[in-house]
Amino acid sequence: MIKAILYKEWIKMRALLPVAAVAVLGFTVYALLRVERAVDFRGAAHVWQIMIDKETVFIEPLRLLPALAGIAAALVQFIPEMSQRRLKLTLHLPFPQRGMILVMAAAGLGALAVLFAAQAAMVWGYMHRLLAPELTARAMMTAVPWWAAGLTLYMLTAWICLEPTWRRRVLYLLMTAGVARMFFLSDVPRAYDGMLPWMAALWLFSLLLPLLSVDRFKQGCQD
Amino acid sequence: MGDSVIVCRNLTHYYGERLIYKDLSFEVPRGRILGLLGKNGTGKTTAINILSGYLRPRAGECRIFGERSEAISPATRARIALLIEGHVQYSYMTIAQIERFYSRFYPRWNRDAYYGLMELLKVAPRQRISRMSCGQRSQVALGLILAQDAELLVLDDFSMGLDPGYRRLFVEYLRDYARNGAKTVFLTSHIIQDMEKLVDDCIVMDYGRILVQMPVRELLGSFARYTFTTGAAELPPIEGAFHPGVMNGRAELFSFAPQRQVEQALGGAGIVFDGLVRESLNLEDAFIGLTGKY
Repeated sequence: MIKAILYKEWIKMRALLPVAAVAVLGFTVYALLRVERAVDFRGAAHVWQIMIDKETVFIEPLRLLPALAGIAAALVQFIPEMSQRRLKLTLHLPFPQRGMILVMAAAGLGALAVLFAAQAAMVWGYMHRLLAPELTARAMMTAVPWWAAGLTLYMLTAWICLEPTWRRRVLYLLMTAGVARMFFLSDVPRAYDGMLPWMAALWLFSLLLPLLSVDRFKQGCQD
Repeated sequence: MGDSVIVCRNLTHYYGERLIYKDLSFEVPRGRILGLLGKNGTGKTTAINILSGYLRPRAGECRIFGERSEAISPATRARIALLIEGHVQYSYMTIAQIERFYSRFYPRWNRDAYYGLMELLKVAPRQRISRMSCGQRSQVALGLILAQDAELLVLDDFSMGLDPGYRRLFVEYLRDYARNGAKTVFLTSHIIQDMEKLVDDCIVMDYGRILVQMPVRELLGSFARYTFTTGAAELPPIEGAFHPGVMNGRAELFSFAPQRQVEQALGGAGIVFDGLVRESLNLEDAFIGLTGKY
């Protein structure tokens, strides 16, 4: 049954995934080529110096991509469920209802995790040849909140989509916008290091939110 | 409670301030085909939403196979085939994909029943459901319902969007399928002629209440239209009569009472009448007789 649920999610996501992969990985290649050009013109030592003096990691243009990918994945997965209240079909299937939602979410989170891992591998693969380990770690740690934002905004978007009333959707949207802002408050490298455990806790909490929307759907809440 | 698959007790529900039901109770016996009839807005779909666990009533409860409808276990859901109003399905899938998807959930999945009905559609297995006509989409949804080989079928407005030929075919197919497999069916439809050919029992609902619940044969055997001529411009309330009315000197009323009793009731109400005639009804006429013509 889990295989069948994943199959349905694959059908919904399969048009998005290549687009998301091209966008995320394409922009990553672009960002890394910019670093490569700086190395070509001014040498690696100059890049190191810029990274330290100007508090940059050169991959800042990528910061919003994981968040956008997470939002897009949730939209393509969960809007079809709420269109014509199709969620009734899904919840009627002989599978635990909360488990169903979590398996659906796992499909989206899994796809995002693969995408973000590919992006991380590209960044690390390029930078560790060029930079000191500390500087590579600095770039990677700077990007971790961006990936966390992607995974968290995926769950929050699912929460909004599955909510059965527009009034609450607007409220949840405002709350989600506040949470999203939190992930992008600082451009300083590793500014979020101390917050990473809290981000992990927030993501774990966000796993429960779509279940809340489904409970409201089952109660028959409507505008 | 006996051997009832569905038992609803004292359902009370409001949408905002608007009362839908108060203390509504009904049962669906095992192995019977029961049709829920009612005008638009009388709460047929609301009843199905409560039954399928997608609406919590203000008061009362429904049980299906003994389980509370808002907490039906997965094992019990496997015994219930649910057709949602509008024949909603996963329209982003193709005929083949949706069969492959559903078949994994139902141990008694009958692939041949599904593809047997799909052959009538004359569409390619790789055609996406969203690109089909409304009627074709309905047929896909019904094919999926029958393939589940469930013990209980809950069908909300099953005939919507079907052309007359397919509707007739489906009614006959469903009747044989239900009787041969000892299935219990609870359904609604706007097309009452279909119900007459299909259902064993009917519940006729009016706003907020059930008017009758009985076998269709018993209803059609006992409920009749009485017509007569009268000089009265309008009829007063008459005991045991539904929707009495007069048009151009010709009066009409509906009643479960035999002719002699109607004669007595008319006399008792002080109505001068002549040429009282009793007419048997089909289900649609009986429905209109019970609920009125708006």
